[in-house]
Order: sequence, then C-alpha cells, then structure tokens
Amino acid sequence: MQASEPTASVLRERYQRRMLEIRGAFEAGASGAATIAARASALDDLVRALWRQAVEQDARLKAGVALVAMGGYGRRELFPYSDMDLLFLLDGRLPEKQVKDAIRRLNQEMWDAGIRVSPATRKLAECERFDEENAEFAISLLDHRLITGDAALYTRLARQSVPKLLQRDHKAMMTRLLELTEARHAKYGGTLFHLEPNIKDCLGGLRDVHVCAWMTTLRSAGEQAGRNGGATESPEEGNDFGKAVEFLWLVRCFLHYRHERDDNTLDWQAQDAAAARAIGVDGGEPRGNDAAYWMRYYFRCARSVERRVRQRIGESAAVKAPSMLSGLRRERRAEEHHGFRVERGMAVLDAVDRSGQDAAADPDVVLDVFRAMAWTGCVLGRETEERLTRALPLLSAQLEEGPALWLRLQAILTGPHAGNALRTMHALGVLELLVPEFHGIDALVIRDAYHRYTVDEHTFVLIDTLHAMERPQKGPMAVWAERFGGVLRELPHAGLLYLAALMHDTGKGHSTDGHAVASRRMTENVLARLELDSYESGLVLGLIEGHLEMSSALRRDIFDIETVRGFAAKVQTPEALKMLTLFTYADINAVHPDALTPWKAENLWQLYIATANYLDRSVDDERVGAHEESELLHRVAAMLPGRKTEVAAFLEGLPERYVLTRSPEQVRRHFEMATRMDEDPVQLDFHYAPGVSELTLVTRDRAQLFANIAGALAAWGMNIVTADAFSNRQGMVVDSFRFTDSFRTLEMNVSEHANFVKSVHDVMTGQVSMEKLLSGRRRGRRKAPLVTVATRVEFDDEASSHSTLVEVIAQDTTGLLRALSLTVASFGCNIEVALVDTEGETAIDVFYLTRNGAKLEKGLEAELKEALVEAVNENASQS
Amino acid sequence: MQKIEAVIQPSKLDAVKDALVEVGVEGMTITEARGHGRQKGHTEFYRGREYSVDLLPKVKLELVVADEMVEKAIQAITGAARTGTIGDGKIFVSKIDEAIRIRNDERGEIAL
Repeated sequence: MQASEPTASVLRERYQRRMLEIRGAFEAGASGAATIAARASALDDLVRALWRQAVEQDARLKAGVALVAMGGYGRRELFPYSDMDLLFLLDGRLPEKQVKDAIRRLNQEMWDAGIRVSPATRKLAECERFDEENAEFAISLLDHRLITGDAALYTRLARQSVPKLLQRDHKAMMTRLLELTEARHAKYGGTLFHLEPNIKDCLGGLRDVHVCAWMTTLRSAGEQAGRNGGATESPEEGNDFGKAVEFLWLVRCFLHYRHERDDNTLDWQAQDAAAARAIGVDGGEPRGNDAAYWMRYYFRCARSVERRVRQRIGESAAVKAPSMLSGLRRERRAEEHHGFRVERGMAVLDAVDRSGQDAAADPDVVLDVFRAMAWTGCVLGRETEERLTRALPLLSAQLEEGPALWLRLQAILTGPHAGNALRTMHALGVLELLVPEFHGIDALVIRDAYHRYTVDEHTFVLIDTLHAMERPQKGPMAVWAERFGGVLRELPHAGLLYLAALMHDTGKGHSTDGHAVASRRMTENVLARLELDSYESGLVLGLIEGHLEMSSALRRDIFDIETVRGFAAKVQTPEALKMLTLFTYADINAVHPDALTPWKAENLWQLYIATANYLDRSVDDERVGAHEESELLHRVAAMLPGRKTEVAAFLEGLPERYVLTRSPEQVRRHFEMATRMDEDPVQLDFHYAPGVSELTLVTRDRAQLFANIAGALAAWGMNIVTADAFSNRQGMVVDSFRFTDSFRTLEMNVSEHANFVKSVHDVMTGQVSMEKLLSGRRRGRRKAPLVTVATRVEFDDEASSHSTLVEVIAQDTTGLLRALSLTVASFGCNIEVALVDTEGETAIDVFYLTRNGAKLEKGLEAELKEALVEAVNENASQS
Repeated sequence: MQKIEAVIQPSKLDAVKDALVEVGVEGMTITEARGHGRQKGHTEFYRGREYSVDLLPKVKLELVVADEMVEKAIQAITGAARTGTIGDGKIFVSKIDEAIRIRNDERGEIAL
C-alpha cells in the first residue's frame, strides 16, 4: 500500500490536470462532443491505471473481473461534473469477498480525485435478469463498454448475457422505460417550454435523446425475435436531430462549468451568459447575444428532440401493454378517413387524396388530420410529419380562408385534445400558415416572477385547462373545475372562447406593455380572414382586449357592489361574463402549476355570481336613450341608407341587453319586421337548427302575449331553453325564444316548419285559440328527473327603479313558461322584461313586472308567490 | 427584532406593499388566507342555489423588522389598509429571538 499511494496521487493529479486542459479547450471553442468524449477518455486512463495497480498487488484479479462502463460513460458521453456508472463484472468463479477490497480501494481513489462514482458489482448471470425494481441498471447496461480487466468475460456479457436479457425481457424493459419517461415528463408538466428548463430531464432534454436510443435498441430486439426491421429516418430529420443533440451537449458542458457541479438548470443568469458567449449559435449573427433569441434556438432544438421521443413512444406502443400511455385512444382496427387513417393511435396520411393529389398538400385532408388528433388524442406518424413539413409551401398555396376555414379551425379548437393538436400544428408550421400572427410568440420567453412557460406554451396550457374542465378531475381543484365546467357547458359559442384563448397573447410578440390591445389589433386581421360576423367578432375582440379585467377586479373588494357594478359595466353581457370568467380561471392556471388555488377559484366564483346577478337585475334600468349614438346604430343604419332616424326610434327604450346581445344584422331584421306591422301585426322570424332553433316575435305589446307564444311552443312540444322579452318606447315587443324540439317534429318533417310558424302566428293573431291548440298537444312519457329542483320564488324591489323583479327557480318542465306567464297575467301584471334560462334540469326565469305602470305592492307579492308555486306544481303534474 | 403579522383585505394588498416599501421594509411573506372576526360571512344566491362564504378571503402578511422600524411598519399597514369599516383586519406583533440568512449564515438584524 505504501508504495502505491504516491502513484495513485500522481494519477489523480494527472487526471485533474487533464480536466483543466479539457476545460481550457472547451473555453477555447471545443465542441460538446469533443469535451464529453475527452472526459470519458481521461477516466478510462485513470480507471485502467488504478486497476493495473490493483492487479499488481493481487494477481488473482488478472482473470474473472471486467470493469465495464455503462450509461453515459458507456456511450463516451461524460459531462464535466456527471457521475460515472462503473460495473465490476464477476464471472462467478471468483469469490466476491476476494475482490471486495480492491473494488473499494479503486472507488475510494476515484472519490479522492473528485469523481462521483456509481459502482455496481454483478455476476455475469445476474446481468441476464431484469429486475423491475431496478430497471435503471438493465437500461444503463444497454450502453456497455469494456474499460479494462477480463476481456473474455466482457465478450460473454456483450455476446450472450445482454442479448439474452433483451430477447427475454425487451417488452418488460420497454414498459418500464415508458413508465419512467411518462413520470419524468409529467414532473415537468408535459412540456418543454419552461422559462428556466432543466436541459437534461425536461421534455426535449438529453434524457429523451437517450430514451430514443434505448427504445430503438429495445424495438429492434423485439423485431429480431419476430418481424421486420425498424423504421428509417429521413436525412433531414437525422440532421436536425443530430444538430439538436450537439447543441444540448454543448449547453450542458457550459452549465456544468458555470455551476461547477452537475446542475442542468438553464436559469435566467445562465441564459444571459450563454447568449453573451453565443454558445451553440453563430456569434456573428446580429442577435447572437440576445437571450430571448438564444432561447428560441434552444427551444427549436428541444422541440426536435421532443418530436423524436414522442414518435418513438408512439412506435413503441406495439411492444408495450396498450393501457400504459395515458390520453392515447388506440383503436383495435384502423379508422379510415378521407386521405388518412388512424391506426393504433397514429394518424397516417394516404399517398394521394380523392383527386389524385398528394394528400399532404390537400388542406381539407390536413386539417381533418388535426381535427382527428384534437378529438381522439392520436399522434402523427413520423412519415406523415415529414410529408406535411415538405408539403407546407403547396399547402399554403391551396389554403382557402373564410367561413370554411373557421369551421375547420373551430372543429380543432373544440376537441378535448386540442392543446396537443395545436402544439403539433405549431411545431410543423401549420398553425402559422393558418394564423401567421402566432409566429411572433413562437417559443417567446418573457421573464417575470410568475410565468413558468413560454408565451406559446402558456396559450396551449390555457386551452388544455379549459378542456380539462369538461372531465372529472382529482385533487383540491376538482370541485372548482366541476363548477366552472358547468358554466363552460352553458356557453353557446364555445369555439369563440377557444379562438380568443389562442390569440390573447399574440400581442406579446410586439409589445409587452399593453399587449392586450396589440393582441386585439392582430386578431382583427384573423377575424376578417375567417369572416366571423360582427357579434362573434365583438365577443372575441372584447374578451382579448379585456382579458385582464377580471384579474384586476379580483384585486378589489369583490363583495363591494361598486366593484361588481364597475366590472359588470365592462363585460356588459352574460355571455361575455361567462367567457371571461372561464378564460380567467384557465389563464391563472396556465401561468404556473401552483398559481390557481382554491382561494383564488372561490374569489373568482363569487365575483362571477355577483356580476351575473347584477347583470340580470340591471336590465330593466339600463335602456337605450333617445339620442344615443351607439356603434350598433351606425352599423345598422349603414345597412339601411337614409333610415337612421327610424332605426334610432326603434331602438329607443329597448334594454341595453338587447343591443349588446344582437348583431347588427339581427337588429336590421327586427327593425324591418317592425316596419311591416301594417301588413301583418304579428311578425315572426324562424331559424331552424338541428340543436337549438330560434323564433323571434315582433309585435305590439298586449296582455298575455308572452303566455300565448310560450303556450304555442309548448303545444308543439318545444322545450324552451332560453328566452328574452324586451319592449321599446313605442310599445313594440321583441321576444326571442331558443328551444329544442322534444319530439323531433321539425327535424323529421321539413314540411312542418311552415305549419309550425303558421300555427304560432294564428295563435298570436287570435285566429286559433290557445286552448284549441293545447287540446291537441302531444304529450311524451315523462321521464323521472335526474335531479329534483325545489321551487323557489323571490321578489326584489330594489333591482329596478320602476319594476319588481321576480325570480322563479323550478324543475324544468314543458309548459312551465306558459304556466308562469299566465299566472303573472292573471294578476294584472305586465312583463316589462323577461330573461329565461335553463341549467340542466333547472329553469331560471326572471321577470320584471309592473302593475298599472308601477312596482307591485307588498301584499300582492305574497299572493303572487303562492300562485306561482301552485302553477309550477300543477304544470309539473300535467306534463 | 419583532414579527408583524397583518391580516388584511386582499384588495388592500398592493397599497400595503407599496406603503411598506416606502418606509423601508424590504421583505415580507404573503399568504392567501380565510377568516373573519366581527365581520360575518357573505351569502349570494345564484340560480336558486345559495353560495355562502363563512370565512371571507383575506391575505396575511408576515414581516420581521428591527425594533425601531416596528411603529413605522404598523403605521404604513394601518394607513394603507384602513377603510374604517368592519373587516379591515388585524395586526399582531411578537418578539423574535433570532434571524438567520441561510445563504451565508448571517445572523441578527443584518439577516433581515
């Protein structure tokens, strides 16, 4: 021992000198590949020299022991401060206790040299067995290399034991590898777009590079045992991936030297330093020292690795148990579509479409592929991705804009896996083809203390959060996700919410101050190309420009009516409120995994319900003034040249709610109906839709009007979902009913549409009595309600300055609205405004009532309450 | 050294933070909290359902300051958080024996 110590000391010094030389070479511009290979080589020399000493001291070690590099060391990829996996392989004839001291001494020498050794001692036979509890050992054995010792023993490991292990256990190893990979990805939120990423373990990091290689090895082990060879890759793909790996090697070396330990976090300071030194990028480029620019290059590389690992995971599904990959629906048989098929959870393009063209250049086929991804969770096959990338210029030339494109985009945005479909579209450049405005936030890093992800990824996480509300969730946020999910299901135009979500931060690519305004400006162009109507555009633009308003309101006293009033004035309509509430919930959640707490969700909910109540209670007081020059007035007047004064007179006295919830085109139609009253005093406008149809009545106000039309709809078996009834200063009413067709009468018989409208018309003009129509009413077998709703009638004298508000909550049954409005009429009350809504099996009907032009007397309220409850019960027993 | 714990209305957090920074308080810990004192809960009916908040949302600030800073900090908090109505919150003050900066083991007021 005495004689060997100086030698070991010399060896250590030699190794440390070598480390300084490697570092010097790196600082002088050596590549990452050269740096990590040099360190592996230096360690090889040290291990061999130390083992030589050990053998000199004990000749029995000459045979029966092999020192084998594994893992990164086995691949000759040893980063400056990485640990090294060293296997002491025994042939079984040599007793372990005989080599124990030599192994301990060698490890000790290595530790003294500052090397973190992860040693393992195994007999040859032990290397043939796969231990699920220690899968990492078998996986790291896939990268083995002899350093020194018994070469014949190592040959047996390489030629017999490892192949035997692979042949027998490749499926189990693949399953475990997928589990470990999935858990690691989940730990990092399933995304590579972190503002301060860990370049080894994050999605798209170096660990995924290794996973790709291991999966290839394990797959080919399975294929040798069974079928054909592995998938090939194109030169372009290999080139991109190779460049990405070289870049990541370089950056990891840089981080190790910077932190002087095995710390792979690319924090903000490291990003600045890497950008300043132009690590991995051409320093001659004008933006070479811009950290945001440098990070975009990093994300591009990580994305290349991510795509490769996702493809490998998809391809490996055949080798593993099918239930392991969450979120991937795998059909047993191929699902055929026009131009592509979905097979085993993977979308594969056909060679040509119906017209004989390249399917990858057919916009209909390509957008349908992404729709399938959004709705089924399937992924793209590698070849399909490559074909799409190559066909982008052709695709661009053939892409048509307008409503058809909006329908296709909407079909993608509303799919439960829309986030992943959009990520793939973004990675392939297809999203930027549809929405070039999105390019400005591609992998954009905006540093602040709160955001975890890049701006584009934040957008996708927001969309993921909205869709997740539609599914049951676990954990402390489950109850809130369910509650807000109920609001999401009530949205009539959910596609608009998702479009606003997609565009809300695009302005950050141009301006971080007041980005909401910049986002709105950019979205205006998108909406013009998609040709959305003015009402829909208004909702999207309003949401984008005001997307921070609810967060601002949450920083005020949400129990103060002035806060609620101010906030309600900004959102203006119930639909906009719902959209903004959902958006805010998802936006907070997309900032950081821990940003959305039950505390914040509860405050958000309280503000939502207070504002929703306020909006319903303020309808009657907030009416269009005599000389109000609104934007809507100008737009409607523009469609009716020379009739601005008449339009203004029509609008005067209508609640602001009417103006805010109707498009200029709808108002124009209603105005024209009002001008045709001389020809026919009952004007009806019917729009059939397979889901919810709409009937609008314009006529002079009179007693039982609302009850009669509600009755006519009930007689036809129509179930009223929402309704509103407004009147203007001239006593003209505009009542709109949206309803479902309980017996599918209108759906099955197109010829009945005209009969339906005539029947309603005849009741309203008095040509047919309501009783006669109801006597022929078709009654369905009433299903027992899933939820029992207790009847509740509340009066509010404070909500309006001249009406009494009555809110009726009851079990939703056919004919309920007629029963309520008849009861109200029987008390001599006039319905000034009605807002009718349903939520599941609950009907929520709000009426603003007057009697003899004034609020109701207290005594009357009690009587009316009793009568309304009775009417609800009686209708329920009859329906 | 003394620790000041202040439970305030969430809507007053920004104003209180600014006021504390202005008097020279450099660090604080903020926690989302719920609670009530004499102020009772809040009930809102929405679509026939009653949503009661028995414990109202509050935020809790914790800061440790040198003895001579205590009164200034209290004045800053009360000045910024007071509306004069019930529910403005409470401040609690207690003695602190030691403060240690983990990074470099500095101790006492220098570690604040």
